[in-house]
Amino acid sequence: MTTFAAETWYLGLRAWRRFYRVPANPISIVLYPLIQLFVFSQLFKDIVQLPGFGDGGGGDGSYLAYLAPGQITFTVFFAVSWSGSNLLYDYRNGMLDKLRATPVGRYAILAGELVPLFLECMIMGGAILVLSLLLGARIATGVPGAIGVLLLSGAFGVAWAGTSFVPALLTKNEQATGTLSILFFPIAFMSTAFVPVALMPDWLRVVNDWNPITFVIEAMRALMTVGFDWGAIGRALVAIAALGLALHSITLWAFRRLTA
Amino acid sequence: MMAPSRSARGEPGAVATPALPASSGSTATVEVDDLVKVYPGGNRAVDGISFRVDRGEFLGFLGPNGAGKTTTIRILATLLRPTSGRARVAGLDVVASAAEVRRRIGFATQTVTIDQMATGRENLALIGRLHGMSGRDLRTRVDQLLELMTLTDVAGKLAGTYSGGMRRRLDLASALVHQPEVLFLDEPTEGLDPQSRLALWDELLRINRAGTTMVLTTHYMEEADRLCERLAIIDHGTIVVEGTPTALKRSIGADTVSLRLLPIGGAGPGDEVIDLRTVRAEITRRLEGLDTVSAVEETDEGIRLSVRNADEIAPELLRQIDIDGIRVYGLSMVTPSLDDVFLHHTGHRIRAEEADQVISMGW
Repeated sequence: MTTFAAETWYLGLRAWRRFYRVPANPISIVLYPLIQLFVFSQLFKDIVQLPGFGDGGGGDGSYLAYLAPGQITFTVFFAVSWSGSNLLYDYRNGMLDKLRATPVGRYAILAGELVPLFLECMIMGGAILVLSLLLGARIATGVPGAIGVLLLSGAFGVAWAGTSFVPALLTKNEQATGTLSILFFPIAFMSTAFVPVALMPDWLRVVNDWNPITFVIEAMRALMTVGFDWGAIGRALVAIAALGLALHSITLWAFRRLTA
Repeated sequence: MMAPSRSARGEPGAVATPALPASSGSTATVEVDDLVKVYPGGNRAVDGISFRVDRGEFLGFLGPNGAGKTTTIRILATLLRPTSGRARVAGLDVVASAAEVRRRIGFATQTVTIDQMATGRENLALIGRLHGMSGRDLRTRVDQLLELMTLTDVAGKLAGTYSGGMRRRLDLASALVHQPEVLFLDEPTEGLDPQSRLALWDELLRINRAGTTMVLTTHYMEEADRLCERLAIIDHGTIVVEGTPTALKRSIGADTVSLRLLPIGGAGPGDEVIDLRTVRAEITRRLEGLDTVSAVEETDEGIRLSVRNADEIAPELLRQIDIDGIRVYGLSMVTPSLDDVFLHHTGHRIRAEEADQVISMGW
């Protein structure tokens, strides 16, 4: 087990370096969430006036605090979408073979790709939190809560990576990987990212109740606006674990098939 | 600057058609028994290959693209599972003990594989770490390899900035970090300029002399000739013949005589019009009966014959074809090359290229 951890660490370090050494990458993961959050919060800021929105606002009734958790999960989608392509790149240029010819465990190669992803998701979450604070929102749970939000963001990213890994490993085609992972985007909208449950039509409510993204969002929202709601946090962790298990069992199967 | 060629060492060597393997208890470093690989879709890339490599030997697989060389070597490097048959490297089964085999082997892929976004040093250090090396041992070894491959000056630069030759050397170095017992090389000089190729050959011979068993695949005759103690000639997934380069060449016993039946530069004014096909057919008919001629092949300018001893045969040959309507514009005699050995055993050439060392007598 410790060998697996060490191997994942070194492979992760390699993948992380590959990411930050391209200047466009760190710039984009900081800028993109800021732009996204800013646009959405200003665009829809009057939505909190709707009756039925209830106390969803961040105590001071601002949409910003309400929106931030959903935005964090959205940015995770983008970080994840190119993780499958990275894997394919290594497969195509022979690096996967080279790594497999060493004693490294097969799954450490996959796990190594998840390390930078975790960091990227945390950074993007961090950018959104910082901007939210600057624009006037407050985090009810202070620094520990903020860290909790970032960790949830990272964990969610690691689980969600399956939506990119699976198409990549099955199609072995970068185009298909991008296109197929986009199919998952609507799931983000069928959650409380933008509006509370009260404002949803019935059919959407049903989807929302089973949507793992909603659980993550609600946990983050609680940490930001209410306090340490351990029930919500627990549910989020279970949702992330279930999601990760479902997606990555397919990932592992597809990876085994590729490297047989 | 020229690396000493293997054939110059004068190995007597035996020429063997692939023999049935000896019973287990053999101490060969690589043992392959009746290996078969059928890809999904039905492609029988490897169709029953058996061979041995002893400790410290330098074995080459020579054959055209698609012959099954890469597939075989990938199976030995534990990257591919055979459909049937067994292979053992350093005494361990490549399927059952894959992880253990990986500790003892190095593998250099056909296309250079390096992490472009990492420095040369980082590239080597990663592979070392994945082999469980660490600390000062790792650092020392990495420095040593960088020195050996003259990459010390650029060790701190991103590998993506390296030239083609540097990348190849880095790739080779990464296969050596953990001092493997066996080094598998898949077309190691593919795409290299002649100077880099020579330098790499020197390096490979040096590594072999230091004790590493080498198994190499190539479609370059000169590479096979120069580097390999023993060769296995492979075509369509099977080993056609095995032996030292010298023995293989001597065994076909055939020199090659090329007859030029067209004037150089085409027919001039006053020359008769020549129907090459008819002339060839006539010559072939006359020569086929001779027991000194073992094969006849068409060329662009005439005809090429495999004969037992060109020096003695040439006059007789010319007598046989001295008839009206056939004029021989030139005659070349060639000592056998590995391509000729390949032709003799498979009926076709590795590539459509002339053999080397031509002694040409034109008139």
